[in-house]
Amino acid sequence: MPAIASALGARFVSIYPPEFVGVKPRLAVKEGDAVKRGAMLFYDKRNERLKFGSPAGGRIDAITLGPRRVVTEISIEISENEELETFNRYSAEDILTLSREEVLEQLLETGYLAYLLQRPFSRIADPKVLPKSIFVNGMNTAPFQADIHVAVTGDEAAFQAGLNVLTRLTQGAVHLCLAEHPVHVSSAALEAKRVRIHRFKGPHPAGNSSVHIHHIDPIAPGDKVWTIKAVDAIQIGKLFLEGVLPATKVIAVGGTGIRESNRQYYRMRIGGELEGLWKEILSEAPVRIISGDVLSGTQIGRGERLRFYSSSIAAIPEGRERRFLGWLWPGWGQYSASRLFLSTWFRRAESWDLNTNLNGSHRSMVMTGIYDKYVPMKIMVDYLVRAALAHDTDETVKLGILETDPEDFALCSYVCPSKMDIMGIVRNGLLEVEEEGL
Amino acid sequence: MKLLLDQFEKAKPWFEPGGRLEKLYPLYEATDTFLFTPAEVSDGAPHVRDAQDMKRTMITVLVAMMPCVLFGIWKAGHQFNVINQIEGTTWLDDLFQGSLLVVPIIIVSYSVGGAWETLFAVVRKHEINEGFLVTGMLFPLTLPPTIPLWQVAAGISFGVVIGKEVFGGTGFNVLNPALTARAFLFFSFPKAITGDEVWTSVVADGQMIEGFSGATPLAVVAQNPDSVNILDTLRVADYGEGFTWMRLFLGDFGGSIGESSGPACLIGAAILIIGGVGSWRIMASSVIGLAAGAFLMNAVDMSGDPGEFIAFTQLPFHYHFVMGGFLFGAVFMATDPVSGAATNKGKWIYGFMIGLLVVLIRVANPAYPEGVMLAILFMNVMAPLIDHFVLKAHVKSREHYLRRFRPHD
Repeated sequence: MPAIASALGARFVSIYPPEFVGVKPRLAVKEGDAVKRGAMLFYDKRNERLKFGSPAGGRIDAITLGPRRVVTEISIEISENEELETFNRYSAEDILTLSREEVLEQLLETGYLAYLLQRPFSRIADPKVLPKSIFVNGMNTAPFQADIHVAVTGDEAAFQAGLNVLTRLTQGAVHLCLAEHPVHVSSAALEAKRVRIHRFKGPHPAGNSSVHIHHIDPIAPGDKVWTIKAVDAIQIGKLFLEGVLPATKVIAVGGTGIRESNRQYYRMRIGGELEGLWKEILSEAPVRIISGDVLSGTQIGRGERLRFYSSSIAAIPEGRERRFLGWLWPGWGQYSASRLFLSTWFRRAESWDLNTNLNGSHRSMVMTGIYDKYVPMKIMVDYLVRAALAHDTDETVKLGILETDPEDFALCSYVCPSKMDIMGIVRNGLLEVEEEGL
Repeated sequence: MKLLLDQFEKAKPWFEPGGRLEKLYPLYEATDTFLFTPAEVSDGAPHVRDAQDMKRTMITVLVAMMPCVLFGIWKAGHQFNVINQIEGTTWLDDLFQGSLLVVPIIIVSYSVGGAWETLFAVVRKHEINEGFLVTGMLFPLTLPPTIPLWQVAAGISFGVVIGKEVFGGTGFNVLNPALTARAFLFFSFPKAITGDEVWTSVVADGQMIEGFSGATPLAVVAQNPDSVNILDTLRVADYGEGFTWMRLFLGDFGGSIGESSGPACLIGAAILIIGGVGSWRIMASSVIGLAAGAFLMNAVDMSGDPGEFIAFTQLPFHYHFVMGGFLFGAVFMATDPVSGAATNKGKWIYGFMIGLLVVLIRVANPAYPEGVMLAILFMNVMAPLIDHFVLKAHVKSREHYLRRFRPHD
């Protein structure tokens, strides 16, 4: 089991309201206010019961507004004697006796409901919706992800408590999806109770929730399913067991932009500063820091802090180097999923240091039928993309867009020789369906 | 290299919006990225991208065509030297003579077609697509080496403009541009490439004059008298040299520049399939379609029905396979991902129908014995329809799949 290093020296934490897609934040604090950890910072104008608690106790250091006076960041200076807002405490067994309403109340009060996302559209779970099932994703096939088997170390009881909480939210099953052959093994995950455990095997995107849902309990139009990352279930468990917002979480830090000795797990303040960490561990060359994974994560600046949803951070080199007559060389030094490079034939098994270069230029869609094998679902990617480009929402729904999330098309974007933004096209397609209503 | 790169970086502002040569940006982009891989980085997820791009893809197709090109050049020269009774030539002489005949055609095709491509890219403000590298080479290979160069220019202009650019450029075209270009010449200037006669250059008094004509294998079949077995006729055709199966397969006889050699086409097919660039489904299914059509026709007894049909109905499958441009068409033309069917099931149907139509056109329409071009163009038009039905079936099967999980409904 890999070690988890401590990186707790943060003096400031931040929360970024735009992360909560669909939430219209209304502030409940102003700069200079003293707040306890867990005290409401802002709530959702659309659903006033949904409040977001402070990730730390201290003083509101700064509130940053973006265009149209949207709150983009709330920074909190942590005080030495952190005060805590208390919520209800339960034992793991007590949780099982709670009503759905009581559970929702606690999740709404703290904002931890945001860990639960509702399909279709991957929006924060709507408390008025009774999902037909809940999918806990304990399998990360994307690069440099926090492995639940590792992250659960020391928090085994909290994980089970979190799963107990989830069972109160649906009349259907709670499905825990795990890797068939995990690298590390924790019995807390493999022997989790009151959930149905499914084992998936195969390369990315076998670990995506959409794939799990599609093969276990697919989303037909009208269906609602909730999803949550297994590592986030630990946080929910802690909230219910301890009655306070947890201060820390485990994140995985990886990528060749990070010095090799520092590519590991860290226990960090939620929303905590990263800059100090970068000073120690980031390599010299220009790198791109990504919150999430390199396939579907978001680029963040050096000065930004840990995101609410983030359980992994990757850094990879920016690739702006230009090679002479690149199309001509046999391709010993370029990694490709295609069979057009020597490297594919002789260096497949090696590890590669990939950078952010586009490796080509944007072109019209020419190749067909190359994407389907990267989406292991009953979905024809070419036509889904075309329908989305044509703004034909009826057609995209028929072709299964409701079953998907943009992240499922990351590999399609990755392999596309025309360098099309397939993820973005699907994201837009989903938005249009959502706006139009079903 | 650094120096050259610096020059390009320095010139860049001229071509960017607001620059003096802003309009020529597509040309700059094409040259710049031809010389150096672009510096562009991904602007969001996924942050890493595969090394394969359109340049790599299209260069692979071009590499796959090289055996056909080289064989075509050699053949043109060889035929020239044989017909003109030039003694003592080696294959190198043939190659040299062939280059004199073929290279100008390729140059005209690339430069005239490229000019149109650039013009449209500049006016329409889209990038110059590498797909043109393939079109510009495919087209000459479908022409006889004696084609007048102005016809090459006219053909490629039609192919690029009407076959592709009026639809919005590469990726939006309904028809294969190279075949559209050929079809244009075929119907506009039938004397040069009708497919039933071929011309080989003849020199008289040092001047290249009218070609020397001989019948193509397909024309031999089409003109076969009913009472004679077709294979007997083929055996003695071409001034006694005979169109044996092996000769037809190897392709050393008059005809279009690049499409007669079976081995060259098969090497191309192997490169396309191994590289994952050409659809093996289309290639395989067109062979299956051809076989189905040939066996079907062989089974039809037309002996009591005098007419032109008989010879082609007798022709066995393996002769259909090596005759005319079938292999070339199936490997390089039918597999065009833009004008072909896009769904995997659709590709099977599309290819099969091409093979079947090739036989049907050869049998039923001896006026145009070369059915491959027409078969592929027709199926290009039909491809969206095929995909439409495949898609309908897919939507049905999705509904069925989703219903399986809700037995209570």
